[in-house]
Amino acid sequence: MLPVQIATLILLLPLASAVMIALSLRQQGALASWVSTATAAVVTILSLTLIFSGARDFPASWEWLRFGTFTVSLGFKFDDLAALMLFVVSFVGFLIHVFSLGYMHDDAARARFFGGLSIFMFSMLGIVLADNLFMIFIFWELVGFSSWLLINHYHEKQSAADASKKAFIVNRVGDFGFLLGIVMCYWSNGTVNLTELADHHVFSTAIPLLLFCGAMGKSAQMPLQVWLPDAMEGPTPVSALIHAATMVAAGIFMLCRIESLMVPQALTVIMWIGTITAVYAALCAIVQRDIKKVLAYSTLSQLGYMVAAFGLGSITNGHGVGAAMFHLTTHAFFKALLFLGSGSVILGCHHEQDIFKMGGLAKKMPLTFVTFTLGVLAIIGMPGLAGFFSKDAILYLAMEENTAVFAVLAFTAVLTSFYMVRMWKLVFLGASRSDSAGHAHESGLSMTVPLVILAALSVAGGYSGVFGKLAGSVAELVPEAHGPAHVTILLVSLAVMFVGAGSAFFFYKSAATDSLEEKSRAAFGALTWLKESFDRLYDYYVAKVQQRFAMLLNFLEQIFLAGLIVRGLGGFVGLVGYGARALFTGSLHTYVYWFLLGTVLLWAFATGFL
Amino acid sequence: MNPSNAQLLQLAIATPLVAALIIALGLPKRFSTKLAAVAFVVPALIGLWLWKEFPAAAGSRYVFQSNVNTGLEIFGISLKLGLNGVSLPMFLLAAIVGLAAGLYALRSGAERLKLYLMLLLVMHGGLLGVFASVNVFFFYFFHELALIPTFIMVGIWGGRDRNYAAMKMTIYLTIGAMLSLIGLIAIYVKSGAGSFDLVSLREALAADPLRVSLQKNIFGLLMFGFGILVSLWPFHTWAPLGYGAAPSSAAMLHAGVLKKFGLYGLIQIALPLLPAGAAWWAWKLALLAGIGNVLVIGFITMAQRDLKQMIGYSSVMHMGYCFLGIACLSTVGAGGVVLLMVAHGLSVALLFLLATSIHHRTHTFDLSEMGGLAQKTPVLAAFFVAATMASIGLPGFANFWGELTVFVSLWHYSPKLTAVAVAGVVISAIYGLRAAARVFFGPPSEHWQKVSAAHPPADMGWGERIPAIILLAALLILGFYPRTVTDGIDHALSRPAGPVTANVSFHH
Repeated sequence: MLPVQIATLILLLPLASAVMIALSLRQQGALASWVSTATAAVVTILSLTLIFSGARDFPASWEWLRFGTFTVSLGFKFDDLAALMLFVVSFVGFLIHVFSLGYMHDDAARARFFGGLSIFMFSMLGIVLADNLFMIFIFWELVGFSSWLLINHYHEKQSAADASKKAFIVNRVGDFGFLLGIVMCYWSNGTVNLTELADHHVFSTAIPLLLFCGAMGKSAQMPLQVWLPDAMEGPTPVSALIHAATMVAAGIFMLCRIESLMVPQALTVIMWIGTITAVYAALCAIVQRDIKKVLAYSTLSQLGYMVAAFGLGSITNGHGVGAAMFHLTTHAFFKALLFLGSGSVILGCHHEQDIFKMGGLAKKMPLTFVTFTLGVLAIIGMPGLAGFFSKDAILYLAMEENTAVFAVLAFTAVLTSFYMVRMWKLVFLGASRSDSAGHAHESGLSMTVPLVILAALSVAGGYSGVFGKLAGSVAELVPEAHGPAHVTILLVSLAVMFVGAGSAFFFYKSAATDSLEEKSRAAFGALTWLKESFDRLYDYYVAKVQQRFAMLLNFLEQIFLAGLIVRGLGGFVGLVGYGARALFTGSLHTYVYWFLLGTVLLWAFATGFL
Repeated sequence: MNPSNAQLLQLAIATPLVAALIIALGLPKRFSTKLAAVAFVVPALIGLWLWKEFPAAAGSRYVFQSNVNTGLEIFGISLKLGLNGVSLPMFLLAAIVGLAAGLYALRSGAERLKLYLMLLLVMHGGLLGVFASVNVFFFYFFHELALIPTFIMVGIWGGRDRNYAAMKMTIYLTIGAMLSLIGLIAIYVKSGAGSFDLVSLREALAADPLRVSLQKNIFGLLMFGFGILVSLWPFHTWAPLGYGAAPSSAAMLHAGVLKKFGLYGLIQIALPLLPAGAAWWAWKLALLAGIGNVLVIGFITMAQRDLKQMIGYSSVMHMGYCFLGIACLSTVGAGGVVLLMVAHGLSVALLFLLATSIHHRTHTFDLSEMGGLAQKTPVLAAFFVAATMASIGLPGFANFWGELTVFVSLWHYSPKLTAVAVAGVVISAIYGLRAAARVFFGPPSEHWQKVSAAHPPADMGWGERIPAIILLAALLILGFYPRTVTDGIDHALSRPAGPVTANVSFHH
């Protein structure tokens, strides 16, 4: 097969699977889940074929729409960046499909769930393969739709319905800027094709910043981060796939796609937004009780890391794409692992999500425990694991380029190991603190095998033997410390990890209450306030400002337009109406026959009979 | 052109009208429904056939032409029919929405079903005639033919406030129609072509354009006249009220198709014949539409509690995008408008259909009383979500392409207004998703628990599903493969002799 045919198949197979499930398999959950998973498997095989065939930058473009000089085309840009992202999406996606076979086995709406996964894969692969900004935007919106669909999976719950709505609308706020940026880019440069833009484009600060708005929505950067924690209402595999490993990373991928358009002023803004998001989310994560919420804030924080790395690296030395994509890849492995691990825990504990009601799961769920522990070690940067390399690259970059950012990111790393070890200890160590945790059991093979594979990748993904093979020329862009800097950054990383992990390990007791809340109410209260302040602000805006403004306009509309002005006119017409009523006697037939007679008369007049 | 295709075009328009006449002459009810079904299906089949036969390269040239002498040649009035790249998609829209509305009406169980079907058939025939008319007189005549049954249907089968709604609709739409009629007659008189034939008018005015001041006045008449018919802010208040009261099939046909008469008139008649007038009015039109229709009405839509009124307001809002596209005075803008008209027609018809289906089950249109329907009626929920997503411009549905194209052309005209228009995308997501969530998701509301206990609800039956599938399929086909119609539109609009004349042509 030609590379372009393989790419087309990769894109269209998940769509075919979704269509098939929607049209004919709604009642057959088991069959639907196998169709969707088999499709994901084939897509993974095709992706690996394409990635390792070495085929790059093959021409592929079809015209989708044309009006005058305006055209939208559908095409593929398959370079090393796309290849790396394709691997992450298809492979992690496939593992999560397999995991879902077990996790969603007893769900009544299994067909809808797997149909949703397929439509998500279609949309996400579209972003990865797209060769122009309009096409990215199209699939970008579709990704948002699939995310809405899957967060809303338990739609009979009000919280799920609200969370899905919030996610879609907040994303649309980001897309407002994104679309304006694309249109502006089109008129400024005469093209939105990524390759042509890289070759020549006008200098503009507005375009990259507007495009970044899209990334702020999808990758949940401040101040649009509010939707991601709520999105945990979706089934846990969805949180792993969409809200940790792939969709939220689409913002980072998109930034890397348009790196050539970036200018220093825009990159400075991007860098600081990422940095602030990283530390803010890490602070919030410390006071979460829900295992998935801890991971959600952790995801936010890590996305902040990637955005900061992109901004930081691209300003001066062109390492932005390398550092961001490296961390994106390793994060996809260990965060998918952690989320799926939490799914295994949640299922084992009979849908208990409160970490203070768990405890002692290490013995009851040994495989989950071992793999989850590897995930935790990877994210807190234990030397030798994937997260260590990618986080080190970012910290090194910050140390060289910007001391303030470095300080914040290092502090964030301390917090990361603090809250991760807190969660790990409360879930797996000590004694069981509830019946559901007491009766926990290890999950089945379809769930543990993906955990093992992801754990292996979380260990090995950082070595150049693995990452370099997958990323090709992108791997060459990863910043590497040499000589004394290497030693410094290694020491910093180790110190950061041990301070955070150690203090969490000794601070938190295996108890049903939060140790922080007991020992320091002030700190706990401040962190809780920090977490809730954004939601309060937005809720206030929506309920008190936006809705009231809408009501006010509606009131004015009813009074002035529908009432005064028209009744005035209506008064006049009322008079005419009295005259007309003489003709229309109220009988329907009379009414209709008058109308027919009129038509006939008019026609007769027109044809000259009268 | 192939004479048989021209005759098919005539047949498509004649079928519903003749069927209405036969029913009026006293056909028994059981034959009437069968005849009506045939008369709804025939134009759709012919429409699809003509669409397949239509050469995209024909551009603004009319094909499938026929000319029937009406005896009024002396006034330049003849029943001249034909389709070009712009009118073909509109004709197809009328045929498809008419089919869906008709099939839905057959299963609606309305009282006085015969009369209902008869009026609907007249309306359908009129609509098909509007978009197939090359002669401006008949363009207008067919519009009136379709409009009058609308009033009657609102007055007889309407819901709450039907008398006030019917009266208000009649006043507004009659005034709008009269203003535009004056404008059309003025063109006829001043052009010196001695004909209502659009082709002759174009030729005459291309060779010898009207004085600029005259163009301004006539364009103003047409803009406000057509504008009222399309619910240009602040002349829109008839629309939500009327649609809120109208029976479903009438709302589907009016909001979906008949309302587009005004926009179609602006694109096919006003823009090409009065370029200088258009240039003078464009900015004012853009402001009214951008601030009024999109922003103000967008917020007002958010405040609605009645599902049908909300759909009515959302339709007013989306008309704002159409006016904005027209105000750009460019091929891209006008092309986007044609696409958006078709897309909006399909999606709003689907929404009205589904709103009625919801009402059958919940016995209310009040959003605050609904909740949790999806558990009992998942198929209805899926259709409603799809229709909502289409109407808020999700890619994959036709509406997206129309909106995107309008935004792109608008940026060239005014970046600030583009920002306003794109903000509308956020606003429509808010009210669209809010309505879907209120009706279908979350726990069942008290009202719904009571109603569903008294009348156990069934999910959508085939009588409801088939018309919904027809509309949804059309939205998806255009969403995935817009070129099925856009190639023709593009040729029609970018030909030098097309609506965009040399002095206001589009520069990249």
